[in-house]
Amino acid sequence: MSLRALRIVWRVTALNFRAQMEYRTEFLLMIAIGAIWQVSVIVFATVLLSRFAGMGGWDSSDVLLIPATRMLAHGLFVLFLGRMHWAGRQIQEGRIDIYLMRPMPVHRQIQLAFFPTNAIGDLTVAAGLMVGALSRSDLDWTAGRISYLVAAVLGGMLLEAALFTLVASAGLRFPAADYWGRWLEELLGTFGSYPLNVLPRAVGGFLTYGLPLAFVAYFPAAVLTGHGHTTGVPYWLAASAPLLGLLAYLGARLVWRWSLRHYTGING
Amino acid sequence: MAAPHAWRAARVTPLGELNAPPRMTAVALRLAVQVVLVWSLWRGLYAQTGTTAGLSRDQAVTYAVLAVLASRLRELDQYAGRDTVLQHMHFGTIVYWYLRPLPPQRYYALRAAGEQLYGLAWALTGYVICLAAGVVEPPGSAAVAGVFALSTLLGQWVLYYVMLVLDQLCFWTIRNTAAMLILLFAQNLLSGVYAPLWFFPDWFVTMSAFLPFQATLSVPLSLYVGRIPLSDAAFQLSVQAAWVVVLALFTRLLWRRAARRVISQGG
Repeated sequence: MSLRALRIVWRVTALNFRAQMEYRTEFLLMIAIGAIWQVSVIVFATVLLSRFAGMGGWDSSDVLLIPATRMLAHGLFVLFLGRMHWAGRQIQEGRIDIYLMRPMPVHRQIQLAFFPTNAIGDLTVAAGLMVGALSRSDLDWTAGRISYLVAAVLGGMLLEAALFTLVASAGLRFPAADYWGRWLEELLGTFGSYPLNVLPRAVGGFLTYGLPLAFVAYFPAAVLTGHGHTTGVPYWLAASAPLLGLLAYLGARLVWRWSLRHYTGING
Repeated sequence: MAAPHAWRAARVTPLGELNAPPRMTAVALRLAVQVVLVWSLWRGLYAQTGTTAGLSRDQAVTYAVLAVLASRLRELDQYAGRDTVLQHMHFGTIVYWYLRPLPPQRYYALRAAGEQLYGLAWALTGYVICLAAGVVEPPGSAAVAGVFALSTLLGQWVLYYVMLVLDQLCFWTIRNTAAMLILLFAQNLLSGVYAPLWFFPDWFVTMSAFLPFQATLSVPLSLYVGRIPLSDAAFQLSVQAAWVVVLALFTRLLWRRAARRVISQGG
C-alpha cells in the first residue's frame, strides 16, 4: 500500500470514527457490547472451571490462556479486518457494485465501511483476560515464549480473517452464504476457547482439519503450556499454527480476488 | 379477521425460508453439528465428575441438547427478509405497518406465531432424531411430558413478549443495535442458553428468579430433566403465566405509546 493510500485509509477511518461518535450513547453501548460479549466467554469458562476439575487434563490457569489468546486475536480481527464479516450483507444490498466503480480495491472499501467501535470493548476485556491468564501462569515467560505468544495472537487474527474472507468470497456467488458467517462466529465463540481434547477424537478432528478452529488458540496454548504432544496432531503441526494463519489468510485473499473477478451482480 | 388473512401473514417467514433451500440446508447442518458438539462437550466435562450442581451427566447433556433445539424456535433470519422493526425504523418504512388494514400489533403477532410454529417443526424433528439416537433422555413420566409441554408453551409465550419489548425499544431510540445486542445477550445468559443456570453461583440464580428470562427456557428444560420436581411444577407454571400477563399488559401499553411516535418521512 502506497503512502498516499495509507493517508486515505487513515482519513476515512478518522471520519468513520467521528461518524460513530455522532450518536454518543450508541457509541458507548457499542463499546459495552464488545466487552459484554467477551465477558460471556469468561463467565462460561469460569462456571465450567469452578464446577469441573480442570478440562481435558489441563489445569485452570493453562485453560485460561486459550480464551485469552482467542479473544485477543478476535479483538484485533474485529479492529483491523472484521468488516469482512459484514461483506455478505453489503453483497446482498448491492454495495459491491458501487465499490467496483471506485478507484480503490473493493476489499479495502469493505474494511473502511465503518469504524468497529465494539472492538474497543473486545480488546479491553481481552487484554484484561490475557493479563489475568499470564499472572496466574506458572510458566517461565522467556523472550521465546513471549514472541511465540505474539505470533500466535497475530496468526489467530489472520486465521479468523481467512475464514470470514472465504465466506465472503462464497457470498459473492451465493448471497445466502452470509448465513454461514454467523454460524462460524458462533462456533469460534463457543468452541474456540476450550481444550479440544475434551471432545471425542472425531469431533476434535473436524475442528482441526474440517474447520481449523483448533489452530486459532488451542494448539498455540498447548505448545506454550507443555500440552503440545497430547493434542492428537503432530507436534510440528500444532506449533506451526501462527504460520498456518498467515498462509491461510494469503490463500483466502487469492480466493477473494478470483471470486471478485467472477462476480456478476444481480443483473448478470 | 378472517382466518385466511391471518394464515397469509403467519406464513410469510416460513415461505421465505422454504424458498431458500441453501439456507434450509445450512440450518439442518448447523443444528446437527451444534447438537453433536454440545453433546460431546458436556460428556467430556462429566468424564471425571459425578453429579454437579444437582445435575447428573445425562441430565446435563439432555438439558444442553434441548437448549440447542429450542434455540431454533425463534432464530429465523428476519434480517434477510428486511422485516425487522429495527430495519423499518432505520429506513423509515415502519409507517407502512400503520397504513395497512391490519393493525401492526396483530401483524407482528401473526408473523411471530408463524415463525415459532415453523421453528417448532425443526425442533420437534431434531428432538425425535435425538431421542431415537439416545442423545437425549426421554421424559421421566407422562406427567413430566405434559407439564413440560405446557411449560414450553408458556415459555415461548414469554419469549414472544421479551422479543417484542426489544423490538418496541426501537420506537424510542434512533440507533439501538448495541442496546438490542445487549438485551439479546441478557436473554441468552439469563435463560440458560449458554449453560444451565444451576451451574451459576447462588446470587446469580436468585437474581434471575426475579427476571422473566428463565421462564423462557430454563424452567421448561429443568422440568423435563427432573431438576425441578413435579411437586414444584404448579408454582413454576403459575410464575410463567404471571409473566405472560404482566408482559402482555406492558407491551400493550408500549404499542399504544409507540403509535404516537410514528411519523412518515419528513414529519
